[in-house]
Amino acid sequence: MCIIHPFWSLLVSGLSDGFLYALIALGYTLVYGVLQLINFAHSEVFMSGGFAGYFILNRTIGSHTPHGLDSVLMVVLGTVGGAVFGGLVAFGLERAAYRPLRRRNAPRIAFLISAIGASYFLYNLAGKEFGRDAVSIKAPFNLDGNAFRLFGAQVQTYQVVVAVAAIVMLVGLDRMVAVTRLGKGIRAVAQDADTASLMGVNIDRVISQTFVIGGLLGGAAGFLFGLNYGVVYTMGFTPGLKAFTAAVLGGIGNIRGAVVGGLVLGLVENFGSACIQTSWRDVIAFGILVAVLIIRPTGLLGERLGRSA
Amino acid sequence: MSRIAINGVSMSSLRRSQDVRRLGAWVLGALILAVMTGPSGTTTSPTAGFTGSLLHPRVLGYLAFGLVMWALSTARVRSRDRVHSATRGVQQLREKLLGDNRVRHGTYLVLLVLAILVPTQLNSFWQEVLVDQIGVFVLLAVGLNVVVGYAGLLDLGYIAFYAIGAYSAAYWTGALPVHPVFHLNPFYVIPLAILAAVVAGVILGVPTLRLRGDYLAIVTLGFGEIISIVATNLSSVTGGAQGIIGIPHFSVHLSSFHYQWGLSNLPYYYLLLGFVVIVLVAFRSLENSRVGRALAAIREDEVAAEASGVGVLKYKVMAFAIGASTSGFAGLLFASKISFVAPGDFTVQLSILILVLVTFGGMGSLPGAVLGAAVLQWAPEYLRNHPILGFQQQDLYIYLGALLVVMMIFRPSGIWPSRRRRRELALAEEGVGTADAMSGSSDPAAGPG
Amino acid sequence: MHSRLGGFAPRAPRSAIKAAAVLGVAAIALAACGSSSKSTSSTTSSSSGPSYTIAYEGPLSGGNAQLGLNMKYAVQLAIQQANAGKTFGKLPFTLKFTTQDDQGSATQSPTAAQALINDSSVVAVVGPAFSGATKAAEPFFHEANLATVSPSATDPGLATQGWTNFFRVVADDNAQGPADADYIVKKLGDKTVYSVDDASAYASGLVATFDTAAQSAGATVTHETAPGTTQCQAGTGNVQQYGALAQKIKAANPSAVFYAGYYCDFALLAKAVRGAGYSGQLASDDGSLDPHYIVQAGASVAEGTIASCACGDITQVPAGASFVSAFKKLAGFAVGTYSAESYDATNTIIDVMKGLGKNITRAAIVTALHSVNYQGITKDVQFQSNGNISGTAVYIYQVKNGSFVQLGLVSQLVGS
Repeated sequence: MCIIHPFWSLLVSGLSDGFLYALIALGYTLVYGVLQLINFAHSEVFMSGGFAGYFILNRTIGSHTPHGLDSVLMVVLGTVGGAVFGGLVAFGLERAAYRPLRRRNAPRIAFLISAIGASYFLYNLAGKEFGRDAVSIKAPFNLDGNAFRLFGAQVQTYQVVVAVAAIVMLVGLDRMVAVTRLGKGIRAVAQDADTASLMGVNIDRVISQTFVIGGLLGGAAGFLFGLNYGVVYTMGFTPGLKAFTAAVLGGIGNIRGAVVGGLVLGLVENFGSACIQTSWRDVIAFGILVAVLIIRPTGLLGERLGRSA
Repeated sequence: MSRIAINGVSMSSLRRSQDVRRLGAWVLGALILAVMTGPSGTTTSPTAGFTGSLLHPRVLGYLAFGLVMWALSTARVRSRDRVHSATRGVQQLREKLLGDNRVRHGTYLVLLVLAILVPTQLNSFWQEVLVDQIGVFVLLAVGLNVVVGYAGLLDLGYIAFYAIGAYSAAYWTGALPVHPVFHLNPFYVIPLAILAAVVAGVILGVPTLRLRGDYLAIVTLGFGEIISIVATNLSSVTGGAQGIIGIPHFSVHLSSFHYQWGLSNLPYYYLLLGFVVIVLVAFRSLENSRVGRALAAIREDEVAAEASGVGVLKYKVMAFAIGASTSGFAGLLFASKISFVAPGDFTVQLSILILVLVTFGGMGSLPGAVLGAAVLQWAPEYLRNHPILGFQQQDLYIYLGALLVVMMIFRPSGIWPSRRRRRELALAEEGVGTADAMSGSSDPAAGPG
Repeated sequence: MHSRLGGFAPRAPRSAIKAAAVLGVAAIALAACGSSSKSTSSTTSSSSGPSYTIAYEGPLSGGNAQLGLNMKYAVQLAIQQANAGKTFGKLPFTLKFTTQDDQGSATQSPTAAQALINDSSVVAVVGPAFSGATKAAEPFFHEANLATVSPSATDPGLATQGWTNFFRVVADDNAQGPADADYIVKKLGDKTVYSVDDASAYASGLVATFDTAAQSAGATVTHETAPGTTQCQAGTGNVQQYGALAQKIKAANPSAVFYAGYYCDFALLAKAVRGAGYSGQLASDDGSLDPHYIVQAGASVAEGTIASCACGDITQVPAGASFVSAFKKLAGFAVGTYSAESYDATNTIIDVMKGLGKNITRAAIVTALHSVNYQGITKDVQFQSNGNISGTAVYIYQVKNGSFVQLGLVSQLVGS
């Protein structure tokens, strides 16, 4: 009942949320693929992308909202800026919090604790340096505007931008993993790191590059998210947790699984909270997580990065 | 001959590049430290923090410090073996002393006497810190130590059990909007609160402990959130976000003897001290019991443990539930102490804090957990109002986060490691065993579905 | 030889990073050189005589730190101005300022309270800021007979515990919720209202009184709790929840939406409902009466939004206008929620101290506060015997041309 009337609107906002989850979830899934570890600090990569986009666009955009081609350029600039900074942070993270432990063959719990520490360090440092209040990114286009109507539901320009940007990046990633040398390296390490190493794959480099790719996507997602909701040092926590749920839902380690998981979670949350109180919404997400882990721990599409492409 | 010479050259150039790289790391570290401890920026001037800490003469002090540390570390690397033999002497002395039961028990006795006498000399602020910040957290850390240290499981929703204990206290003493059949004194609630936490631990643990360990981390994180959401939403049962006031203090009524704990801190301190000592003794014997040995076996090599007939899931659930019960117990104590409970106080951040206490002290080490909690809970209280070392309280988690990373890189066994744990870590580094229980008893890839 | 090289290489980065990280351990030691601000700051003063400390207790770290800073700087400013003789003329004593951080949490506030009680120079406290923290700390303050004047704790239950040292300069939820309902239902004639709260202690108390009053005034109320978001550091909710909530509100099509909570989440909700095409009245409470709301929601979305507050328009009184600029100068950011109330709370205490002159003790301040009458910038400060502010007149504000403008007193607006 509750979902029939606003069905198309919920579908649109569900997909828009879902694409953002998918972009973040890919960061978890890629790192999980090569290291079999949850990167707890990925939410801070996401936050970094938001801040980078904020600093870049608020310097570039004047007092008037750009139009036409300028808008497109600004969106691309912000996305690329967010992505690059996200990639840098992810690179530094791997160097500082992961590689020393990997060298020592440290227990897995040490990696998780180290990542949690890095996450707390990064977001609180961002709060100290950039202020603890939310800031808004200057709009590169009219954020309140509607692009078109879909069966009576308004589709906002913002939602179109998110979907287009996400689809471009997702297709790019999929091709990259399937075709390029780096993609083959990632798949090889994901399947069997020891063997890959014997075959001449430089594991350190592949892992580092995997972090960077995940960081690029996470940083871009941070910018796209911040565009609508504002940027603040705590912004990564909940989306990070949700995106991890999405990654598990689709089958962690599986690239297409992360995309499917993100979209499914976005839709379930939107349709779900149309029928129940908003206050129980987060319980749905975690409920799904626990249910998936218990009933089908390999997720919807199964695990293993190596088999994905 | 020429080959050796070439190797000699590459050796020394390697060493040089190593030195350069270490210098770079020290300088970078010094700059990060300067920013961490420097002034804050604001939303309107986001670069002020950086310029204020890096373009300020103080940065020279940090750089000098970095250079000195670099020189020291270089010297240390050059004479690694000598240093090793020097520290080994100290190590052996410590082992010898701690190995001697009389010395060890004597030390514990002296510490206990100090723990009894010293607080009487403190002012009420430090007494309050001793109860609220140190005592309760020692209990929490010791409990989490069973989960993280003994069993090698990462529990990020540990505070949820604390909440369950606190709400149990509120329910059974009649403070909640829903009333039990009969109202109880907090003393009689202890078994009930522990039972509630254990039941919650088992319900959560049985399905998730079969999975890989890092899934447990995320599920417990979610569970922590769910408990706080439920406590907020079910306001007709829990009093909602505004919380519940009026949970009674502990009291004793034995025929003609009546005693009521109240606002004064010392009585609560001694009550807490008593409980902590009981818990410590219990966990010490747990460590050396069948359960403790089974947990150690699981931690060291889960597959081997399972193959030799250790019921892996059973012991993991047991450790998880023991941790949960300690947390629930601490929740009950604290709820009764401050007479108030509200869902907003049970945050993920608190779970992380307890994890920091345990990792800092030494995972798997009882004295480590106690020491970690005492030192890290005392230090911010002492430092933040210190005229020179004073730091901004809101920066605390920057330091704690950095501390976690640093500990994991350099001293994963903590400041007071357990001997067993240190050996496991050393073995794991050589590729023997895993030193945690994170691999999961059934690999999901091969598991059901 | 070759294999030895292979074994050697991986060590290099480790020792390098080891170097970097030992630095981290030394962080605490080196914080000495840091320029971190000290909690206790004696302000330069033209006055002489004995010195007394007024303390602020509230969240200065953790999720609610910004709210705490809004208050802290206002207290500090009031003390600096008093010492400089700007507000009360030359005082026969010097005031000092200290803070205690309770993180807005009941688990931290007893410790913070003990620290203040132990400091014998502390004669009065502005705070605790949050109701939960107040509940846990007030028994100790009461035992020490140390006056606490809260600028922000609105839980009605606080005034019924028999704490004779407890005062607050804000109206409790029982005053504000019904006034909001009166205005929205009776004056604006909105008969269908969608009320949303952020699951905080403050909002859930307020919204309960609002719902009851709106229903008894004849409106149909749909209530929903949307937890404050991590984005706004107001809870653990996810900002994306507002998309679906906006669809629900659009589908229900109420004539007004009332939000109990703070400006940051209200701005997100306002953007979402306008984005979904809802065009009815948006209304909120004093937690949203903050210029940040207009900035974050956007001027076009915020236009027409009403907010209530049991406080006068500080920009309309000269002292208020100068407070706004002096605050900005001291804090580095603009006045926010509860800044003005904190300023008034502090000045009320100083006014009482000035009256006591040489006979300042904790007990004397508690007694004197019961009969104080101080003209603050937000309201005329007088306390009822239970510590509540008397004369809880609630004003309505509306966003017009991009800023909040006072419309008037609810009682007068509804009556007319």
